[in-house]
Amino acid sequence: MTKNTIETVKIKRIIDECDGVKTFVFERNEKSTPKPGQFVMVWVPGVDEIPMSLSSYKENGEWSITIKNIGECTNSIHKLKVGDYIGVRGPLGNFFHIPQETIKNIILIGGGIGMAPLRFLASELIRLGHKFKIIEGVKVGNELLFEKEFLEYPQEEIEFHFCTDDGSYGQKGFATDLFNFLIEKIQVKDLKNSIVFTCGPEIMMYKILQICLEKKIEMYASLERIMRCGCGLCGLCVVDPLGLLVCKDGPVFNSYRLAEIEDFNKYKRDFSGKKNSI
Amino acid sequence: MLELNISELKLNSPLILASGILGVSYSTMKRLVDAGLGAITTKSIGPKPRKGYRNPSIIEINPGTFLNSVGLGNPGIDNFMTEIKEIKKSKFPLIVSVFGNSIESYIMVALKAEQAGANAIEINISCPHAEVSSIGIDKDLTFSIVKSMKEELKVPLFVKLNPNVTNLGEIALAAQNGGADAVVAINTLAAMKVDINTKRPILSHGSGGLSGEAIHPIAVKKVYDLYKLLKIPIIGCGGASNWQDVIEFILVGASAVQIGTVLYKGLDFITDINNGLKKFLTDNDYSSISELKGLAHEFETQEVPDFD
Repeated sequence: MTKNTIETVKIKRIIDECDGVKTFVFERNEKSTPKPGQFVMVWVPGVDEIPMSLSSYKENGEWSITIKNIGECTNSIHKLKVGDYIGVRGPLGNFFHIPQETIKNIILIGGGIGMAPLRFLASELIRLGHKFKIIEGVKVGNELLFEKEFLEYPQEEIEFHFCTDDGSYGQKGFATDLFNFLIEKIQVKDLKNSIVFTCGPEIMMYKILQICLEKKIEMYASLERIMRCGCGLCGLCVVDPLGLLVCKDGPVFNSYRLAEIEDFNKYKRDFSGKKNSI
Repeated sequence: MLELNISELKLNSPLILASGILGVSYSTMKRLVDAGLGAITTKSIGPKPRKGYRNPSIIEINPGTFLNSVGLGNPGIDNFMTEIKEIKKSKFPLIVSVFGNSIESYIMVALKAEQAGANAIEINISCPHAEVSSIGIDKDLTFSIVKSMKEELKVPLFVKLNPNVTNLGEIALAAQNGGADAVVAINTLAAMKVDINTKRPILSHGSGGLSGEAIHPIAVKKVYDLYKLLKIPIIGCGGASNWQDVIEFILVGASAVQIGTVLYKGLDFITDINNGLKKFLTDNDYSSISELKGLAHEFETQEVPDFD
């Protein structure tokens, strides 16, 4: 058994997170410790195998993935029950580097289901005693993820801000608006002592990148692309013109790399390898 | 020291990227050459875009050994010509792997690739989990497709051989007689993996082709046998995972060696292999890697077992 080998595991628990989003908890025989930002290839027997960020890992050996029902494969996963088998390969890819203690402002910005890897990161930051801010943007109120969990954190240490595109719950607006609002309150000298981790729609991450480049804030984003192998062989997840592979060199890239990736927020390849506009 | 010529191609290293691995985007291919590969073979390109089989389509089944059934997913030659043109801005030898559904479509794809700047064409008549395998298991079909393509192409033509046949030698000879400039031995071996919990074949296609460490000794034996038969160069391919495997391929008669699966370990591995090759040559007083070619054939092997 290696990290690129499929291990079939039984689903141990299923948690309904919000409309159309479920978390699937499983345990593995393969003992390895995943890090926030890493992903697994999830096989739904007879259907498909797709890359999925880990949304938690606990020391008791429980892993979880949080999945939005958006297509044929995710729809099939949503129909699975406790005790059903899924296949997992991983942990794959790089991860969010936990900042040093001297960093003053840690800001996590998630858009919709992009909150999944950031939730894993949040729990790791808490475990290590960091203070940080979470910004979550969703389209409508009933899509808000992990609200209860985030509000249970001590609010003097972990600030939780959220917004909806349509204003149906909380503040109306985009995650980028909230981010702009938050950094206005940070003194200029402290901006370079700030770090942003983001995952979500590429348009959102692209806008956050522009803000971070302008304000010289260190920033990391997790990208998603089509992949077959998840381990640097098929080449479908390449981002031009650097030739970097999202599965192996990513999925997490820093702002300097992102600024050089011309495909960012523009193109993805499909299973044929053809480039398509996002 | 590692430089060599194969057909008209000048390589700075005997290592060539094997078809099917990473050969999708110009940018990754450039990165691989920067990392030390002597030439690149692209993913097999056909007449039109094709998504291939669903996932799971590439999995590791033992350390260093992979099973795949991509099913010739490719963007189609018309889309791929822009990648070829982009690659040609860098000056490394580019081998475009092609396939078709008829001799005419093979020729059409190959001519477009040549026109866009390919330095050589490799024909895929051997993918073990796709319909083109029917050519690679038949010596007459192999002869006629190679001959027809050679009549149309100006650049060298390499033929990738399907090992899933009873008599590989006769197919290789058919390729040589048709005018092939080199053969690539071997493609993946037909194989299968079943998950014992769900009782299902894991690959969406059911079975696929085995590559990586497990097939290296098989590929070595095939190259050894072909070297005795053929006059044209042989490019060794199959599970080469370190510099020792590359030397072994050359000792049994390979002129150059394709690598692919080992790249799951990362691109830095290419530098390690090149450095290992140079050190071996220096330590053993060779000035060129080509001096090692076929040396394993100088030793007699026992043909008849001893009795009593």
